Amino acid sequence: MNITIERAALLRSLGHVQSVVERRNTIPILSNVLLRAKDGELSLAATDMDLEIVESVPASVTRPGGTTAPAHTLYDIVRKLPDGSQVELDISGDGALLTLRSGRSQFRLSCLPVDDFPQLSGGELKHSFAVSAADLRGLVDRTRFAISTEETRYYLNGIYLHAARAKSGGTDLPVLRAVATDGHRLARVEMPLPEGADGIPGVIVPRKTVNEIRKLIDEAADRIQISMSENKIRFGFDSVVVTSKLIDGTFPDYERVIPVGNDKVMEVDAKLFAAAVDRVATISTEKSRAVKLSLTRGTLTLSATSPEAGSATEELEVSYQDGPMEIGFNSRYLLDITQQIEGEGARFTLADAASPTIIRDVVDSTALYVLMPMRV
Amino acid sequence: MSKARAAADPAADEGLTPRRNPDLTGQDEAERLLLEAWNSGRLPHAWLIGGAPGIGKATLAYRFARFVLAQDADGDGLFGGSAPATSLHLSANHPAFRRVASGGHADLLTVERQRDDKRNRLKRDIAVDDVRKIGPFLHRTSAEGGWRVAVIDGADRMNVSGLNAILKILEEPPNKALLLLVSDNPGGMLPTIRSRCRKLALKALSEDTVVKLLMEHRPDIPADDRPALARLSEGSVGHAIGLADAGGLELYRAMIGLLSGLPRLDIAAAHAFGDTLTRKTDDGVYETATELLVWWLARFARALARGAWPAEVVPGEAALMTRMANARSLERWVEVWEKVQRLFARAESANLDRKQVVLNALAALEAAAS
Repeated sequence: MNITIERAALLRSLGHVQSVVERRNTIPILSNVLLRAKDGELSLAATDMDLEIVESVPASVTRPGGTTAPAHTLYDIVRKLPDGSQVELDISGDGALLTLRSGRSQFRLSCLPVDDFPQLSGGELKHSFAVSAADLRGLVDRTRFAISTEETRYYLNGIYLHAARAKSGGTDLPVLRAVATDGHRLARVEMPLPEGADGIPGVIVPRKTVNEIRKLIDEAADRIQISMSENKIRFGFDSVVVTSKLIDGTFPDYERVIPVGNDKVMEVDAKLFAAAVDRVATISTEKSRAVKLSLTRGTLTLSATSPEAGSATEELEVSYQDGPMEIGFNSRYLLDITQQIEGEGARFTLADAASPTIIRDVVDSTALYVLMPMRV
Repeated sequence: MSKARAAADPAADEGLTPRRNPDLTGQDEAERLLLEAWNSGRLPHAWLIGGAPGIGKATLAYRFARFVLAQDADGDGLFGGSAPATSLHLSANHPAFRRVASGGHADLLTVERQRDDKRNRLKRDIAVDDVRKIGPFLHRTSAEGGWRVAVIDGADRMNVSGLNAILKILEEPPNKALLLLVSDNPGGMLPTIRSRCRKLALKALSEDTVVKLLMEHRPDIPADDRPALARLSEGSVGHAIGLADAGGLELYRAMIGLLSGLPRLDIAAAHAFGDTLTRKTDDGVYETATELLVWWLARFARALARGAWPAEVVPGEAALMTRMANARSLERWVEVWEKVQRLFARAESANLDRKQVVLNALAALEAAAS
């Protein structure tokens, strides 16, 4: 392999892929990045064995070929080269040494064979469809806060992505749904089902993968190609392709925990509500973070007490027409949810102090949040 | 012991590193059992592979892991149409072999003791955090579309927290997940773990096999020494190589030479022997020699109880044993053996002067033999 490439292009790509390579690795091949050159393109791949990022950059290829080289060392070298320089990468005949030349600098890095590198991108992914960056961002952003971090219920450590039918009122539309829950709160966000996505298997995308693709969405072009099978999911951005393992488990039947009989409705300005919750929660104890919501016709009183710190109350004007009730919530969970609401108003649908509450955006019906109450 | 040395110098016995070793000799019976279980279509999800150190337990585990991982990569068995497998062998050029050898197979997780860089040796236990990786690993889908295999090398080195960490996954294994526990001391593991694994006990290798393996892998060891090393290692090629590298055979000869003087020890020779053991602190000579002495006493006691001397490793052993047996009863010799063993153990924990410890042990033997 012999190629010449611009330093800035190489640096950006290396920056993307090396982020998944763990710094402390006892297995040499896992600290390496896979370099492959052909047809005027250099492709770089890195993996942590759970997910793989492959990025392609244009390069002038004099001799195609491939090798694997230490990712962090290579990144550090390229980072320190002067801006605007050209970098030449050359691999000796037996593939054991990578020579990097730029200006008057020359580096020789020891390499490992391509065959030793983990294979994550192999195998056929049967289902494939495209979504817009904005839609995917919406799915990810509004659900990922609810992903569980508890290892024992491993099947909750990701976003459940699946096709479903949205039944509300008289409509019955096919949708692509993202659901995440940690047992205390649940987020369900949907978008119209993209073409080609009917019949996709329900998959649980692990948290780490969710976070990696979230970083890439902002830099991506408008269309993102998603392919999946029962075993893997692949996100194709412009020049970056992320392939990931999935969580091998059954996501719980979340529909059962979304209450249907809640009859008390409160509407409140989401921004004012969030700010008030944040203020009042200053008093609540570090451990419970509880705030109490007391509702009477037209008024919401937020309150928190703690034996050490004292107490706080704040009143808010809300639209509420039912009888008085009191309910407690974890203030952090309340904030997490209300921060996802982009419109003016949040609609709370309640039953009683011991039942889960539904929170939605007044004007946007694609997202639904369920929050368990706390005893206060 | 051989493993510790191999880790210090990976090039020392590259061909015998379990992960990279394409061949396994002398464990045909165990291989047949694994194949049978695989071909039956109802493979137990967890195996506890036990047996003495250095006889091929880990090599067998990796061999089976590669076999299982390669099966699906080839698309075999989808319609049950392919013929039942007849061997666990996988060519060293097979892609799955290459990735397993490099540690880059995304469907294989290895858990073993880590190196302690400060002390330049393996840590005493397997770290709990490493054991805890097994659950999430097996709860991920496979990267190459088939099985996921976790190998725990030195499973008896897991501490209580580690053992508890794998209990859950042993109880409720996901589909197409395989756990291979490798242990020198399977009896010492928690019954809760043992009862959830299919046990596979490997037998020690025959002396001929050890000689043959030594010839293949360590041609630098003189041909005349090979049978003696094979006998000394009791059918463990790993132990034989460890002994060869530590100069075990010369030590053993020196030791028997010295003991041949019993019931009177040549005090000057005893001092010289003590000096050779303690010239340097870190070369492992002292450890090897004390291990050999304890082993020899145990062998002697066992033989005395049985009433037949074992085959000699070096000439003159039988005569020595006869003389010792005439001097004292079996009971007394078992006491001496225990005493020497305790002495060496105490020397380690209390950091006693090593030469004095060796002289003390020899004096105990002399006192018993006279």
